Amino acid sequence: MTALLERETAPAEAPRPGRGGLAGPLVKIALLGLVAGLAVWAAFPLIAERAWTGLAVLLAATAGLFYLYTGRRRVPAKYLVPGTLFLLVFQLFPVAYTAATAFTNFSDGHRGDKREAVVAIQTASVTRVPGSTEYALTVATTGDPATGPLTFLVTDPATRVVSAGTRDGLEELPAGDVTVNATGRVTAAAGYTLLNGGQASARSREITGLAVPTPGGAIRSQGLSRAYEGKAGRAYDAGCDCVRDTTTGRTWTADEEVGAFVAADGERLAQGWRVGVGLSNFTRLVTDAAIAGPFARTLIWNLIFALASTGGTFVLGLGCALALHSPRVRGRGLYRTLLVLPYAMPSFAMLLVWRDMFNTDFGLINNLFGLDVDWFGGAASARIAVILVQLWLGYPYMFLVATGALQAIPPELSEASRIDGASPWQSLKRVTLPLLLVALTPLLISSFAFNFNNFNAIYLTTDGAPFPADNPANGATDLLITYTYRLAFGGSGAEYGFAAAVSIFIFVIVAVISTVSFRRTRRQEEVYS
Amino acid sequence: MRIRTAGVVTALTLALAATGCSGGSDDPATPTSAAPAGAGGKLVIWGDDKRAAALKPFADRFGQENGVTVEVQAISKDQQTTFVTASQQGSGPDVMVGAHDWIGNLVQNGTIDPVQLTAAQQQGLAPNAVKAVTFNGQVYGVPYATENLALIRNTELAPEAPATMEDLVAQAKKLRAGKKASELLCLQVGQNGDAYHAYPLFSSAGGYLFGTAANGDYDKNDLGIAKPESIAAFQKIRALGEKGDGALKRSITVENSIATFTAGKCAYLVSGPWAVTDVKKAKIAYDISPVPGFAGAKPAQPFLGVQSFYVAAKGKNKALAQEFVTNYVTTPELAVALYQAEPRPPVLTAAYDQVKGADPDLAKFVEAGRNAVPLPAIPEMASVWDPFSKAESAVVGGADPKTALTAAAKTISGQIN
Amino acid sequence: MSKWFARVGWRHGVAALALVFSLFPIVFVVSAALNPLGTLSSTAAVPTGASVGNFGNLLTDTDFARWFGNSVLIAGLSALASVFLSALAAYAFSRMRFRGRRIGLLALLLIQMFPQFLAIVAIFLMFSTITDLWPVIGFNQAWGLILLYLGGALGVNTWLMKGFFDTVPRELDESATMDGASHAQTFFRILLPLVAPILAVTGLLAFIGTINEFLIANVFLTDTDAKTLSVGMYGLVAGERNNNFGMFCAGTLLTAIPTVLVFQFLQRYIVNGLTAGAVKG
Repeated sequence: MTALLERETAPAEAPRPGRGGLAGPLVKIALLGLVAGLAVWAAFPLIAERAWTGLAVLLAATAGLFYLYTGRRRVPAKYLVPGTLFLLVFQLFPVAYTAATAFTNFSDGHRGDKREAVVAIQTASVTRVPGSTEYALTVATTGDPATGPLTFLVTDPATRVVSAGTRDGLEELPAGDVTVNATGRVTAAAGYTLLNGGQASARSREITGLAVPTPGGAIRSQGLSRAYEGKAGRAYDAGCDCVRDTTTGRTWTADEEVGAFVAADGERLAQGWRVGVGLSNFTRLVTDAAIAGPFARTLIWNLIFALASTGGTFVLGLGCALALHSPRVRGRGLYRTLLVLPYAMPSFAMLLVWRDMFNTDFGLINNLFGLDVDWFGGAASARIAVILVQLWLGYPYMFLVATGALQAIPPELSEASRIDGASPWQSLKRVTLPLLLVALTPLLISSFAFNFNNFNAIYLTTDGAPFPADNPANGATDLLITYTYRLAFGGSGAEYGFAAAVSIFIFVIVAVISTVSFRRTRRQEEVYS
Repeated sequence: MRIRTAGVVTALTLALAATGCSGGSDDPATPTSAAPAGAGGKLVIWGDDKRAAALKPFADRFGQENGVTVEVQAISKDQQTTFVTASQQGSGPDVMVGAHDWIGNLVQNGTIDPVQLTAAQQQGLAPNAVKAVTFNGQVYGVPYATENLALIRNTELAPEAPATMEDLVAQAKKLRAGKKASELLCLQVGQNGDAYHAYPLFSSAGGYLFGTAANGDYDKNDLGIAKPESIAAFQKIRALGEKGDGALKRSITVENSIATFTAGKCAYLVSGPWAVTDVKKAKIAYDISPVPGFAGAKPAQPFLGVQSFYVAAKGKNKALAQEFVTNYVTTPELAVALYQAEPRPPVLTAAYDQVKGADPDLAKFVEAGRNAVPLPAIPEMASVWDPFSKAESAVVGGADPKTALTAAAKTISGQIN
Repeated sequence: MSKWFARVGWRHGVAALALVFSLFPIVFVVSAALNPLGTLSSTAAVPTGASVGNFGNLLTDTDFARWFGNSVLIAGLSALASVFLSALAAYAFSRMRFRGRRIGLLALLLIQMFPQFLAIVAIFLMFSTITDLWPVIGFNQAWGLILLYLGGALGVNTWLMKGFFDTVPRELDESATMDGASHAQTFFRILLPLVAPILAVTGLLAFIGTINEFLIANVFLTDTDAKTLSVGMYGLVAGERNNNFGMFCAGTLLTAIPTVLVFQFLQRYIVNGLTAGAVKG
């Protein structure tokens, strides 16, 4: 969607910026042409797949773009639409989809739909009939290798008798009609075309779907060279909407409330499906004492962590940027490059390094300073440690941004105040800082929001430690997000629905805080208007 | 000047528009010609990075023999979750390589199919490995290598294998007094504990995680963690910990335990086959023996992990996947190659016999794993790891075993039900 | 001397302190990368043995060079495109007044707050369909991943740029408009050159962010040939109890190279993009 190098035709008399009087519209035409080309390209697969909804969306989007960029109105939209398109498709959709799962039981064991669960139950129950023959298999057809009806040519390894199996049953072939090799596989058979590996694998789905009925069960393929006689131990009965064990007769009835087949005595089959559960993920969040109990404590620490990380990195970063913001400092380029290094290294690797440096007996920090602190063993020291690590990781970012911001401030401004007799400190306080804050407040808010949910900072260092001996679920350095992760993925399978519910909850908290601080930026924004 | 610029831009525009359009008109041909090739015969195998690299040549050969394309892809992290999620949406592989304790979760999500091995094939495999991949009476994967913990010792410092844990600690204390080693034992605990490495001691002292059901599987309704036997076992672990002998320390972690051993700072290392490469590289004279148990208690039982091949239930080419997993993976050649990629004992007896002569460590690891119990594959085990590990770490740090284990058991049963 | 210190010397002092803080963990990565026995253990600051074996192994045993290329391509293209998209939006947010402007800004921030590890499922859902329809932008394709990353183009960076656009005096664009320039001309000719430093900074931030991105790339790129540095390197330590720390650290150091180069390249824009000339305009 680069369709937007939008250039309105400049009036002919435009004196100065008129260098490309014709270039503007031409670029625009080119880009719109590109959009049209892309749309045509994207449309063909949609037509081939008969995805009419998708095609309609594509057409509407293309038409919308043309309408927007050929008209002269709606100027803000012209600038916002390109990024927003990506945002809608690749961010908003995943978020909305995830949020929607908060109202379902989406979790391991409840991922698919009911039909998939039934298939899984039946497939998992197919066992070999005890004492049955293990056949050698050749896949053949009576017609064309790509489309003809499939036949299993199965050889009994003991007798070397070959039979032809189809959907209708098993039929013995006369010995003279077939040639069998040493392993028992058929190499030629009169009236049949044998499928080679490639041909057979092209029809993989049909082969695994073919069951040759036998008195004891059915012959199924196991790969392309073996077949076995198996019997499904469990079958779904649509009449009672239940799964029945074919030998014991025990039944499990579908329970649409929990999305599982449940027996009379309460035993559930492991393979369930996804159903809507209303607000129960949210009520669990509030009512479960193990979850609600440490919530307030975790929230307070989470706020402290986010504030300290944001504030600390800002002060450090700004300090360094100010120190280097002078043409007199020789080697500024080198300093800057080296200071950015912590940010240039993959953060997960550096988090692991830091964790190691805080090791009680072997860690560098204790060794270097002759300490014997059990850093991650005590709540206070562990919290200091994770904030310190966060400072290290985050301040180059603030340094960069502050450097850019300082450069963008017209030097005339501070020069002017200098001429007025202000000391460097005063001019910093009166001119530079207020301007910097205009530029950086939005960033500080977003940095706060990022650190509030800074999963890796905790997960890769303390992983929540230290944990009180009587509660292995919530540790002193846990953020809400790591706590959620443990709740949702630490159990007997991932609980996406529940995790989504907690995420929405956290989201609301961050949203409130951010909105409140955002309101305060309104005045700053108008600094020049 | 201006006209020339305009001319160039016009030409460019037309070219762009043309490429845009021709891109469009070319394309209907591409999917139609690509579709049969893709559906014709492609087998996609997923594994972790090391195994993917080792599998590649064999996969290619399998592809050539069968006239299909085989793609081996490595998933670097969260293999199991990625596999389940991808399968669900139809983007998963046909064959997955992974640990056997995934089976419970993979089955409850309908992600893998049982495999039917012939009696002859089953007999060719180590029985404990086959048992490990059996779940609800069905064989769900084809195992190819096992791993378990053993005691690796620096023979220059400790020539004799200790018979009991008490022996080990006594020996190690002598070494420390003589300034020959600064640590008693390199057994990783870490800040949040390590249930896998603690289990041999826990089992020797009589503790248990799950009881056994009538069919031989683990019984999720019989959680043993807060039972008196387990608490007594943790008392013994506590005595080895920071407030006792100091043989177990939270500062020994996954990152530094092997490194500390290879630096000669401790004489004993509890680790698995993966440690041997580094130990050899450090040119340490070593020997391998079973992890010793406590005196007068049961033998120490490490966990047995079994690497296996699975047939994905929602794979696009299941027939070929079954062919690969049941008939190709069970050949000794492939098992030997996988062994060479990473020296873990092959499950296939024929392959094991082939490599054990050249590698005496293998037999020692197998011997150390003679008592090993397969890692529980039931999905409920996922709830156990974290709380149990944290209880271990707390107790090693000196906490009261009863408090720690009761809290762990409460968390675990809260998650299971 | 003391005057020198007050003017320049203290600046060196601050920078030196910051350097020590910044660099000392990195010293251990260097030490581990040179240590033939792979370990992340920081017991010793000085390498116990020095060899470049880990670097050699990295280049011969893995597809490091390829990962490197992929990373630079993906991070470079998506940084460029995302700076462009961001700048467009920031211009609208800073210079124009329209309904839903502040709500829109806030929404941009809040959308980023949703934990990504939950979004993986939705990404699979979406890209499974895309891969079937348009394989060129599907799984294992750099283009697909770039598109996905561009979903985040409007976000923190837009905020950052918008803040900077706000600091550029409005009189500048107003006088341009008076001269008859269209909004597009004002944007491309007047405003963008003025904010070059921040374009460079956001570009660098986007580049670093993408080159270090792991969570999505890990599930998106499964072909060995398609992997990026962070995914490939994680594989060195994440495989079942692998201990390739030495190679990993070597790779970590090499990963920093493109970033440093990009920074070097952009630094002149950051430093020389001074607005003095433009203000006189």
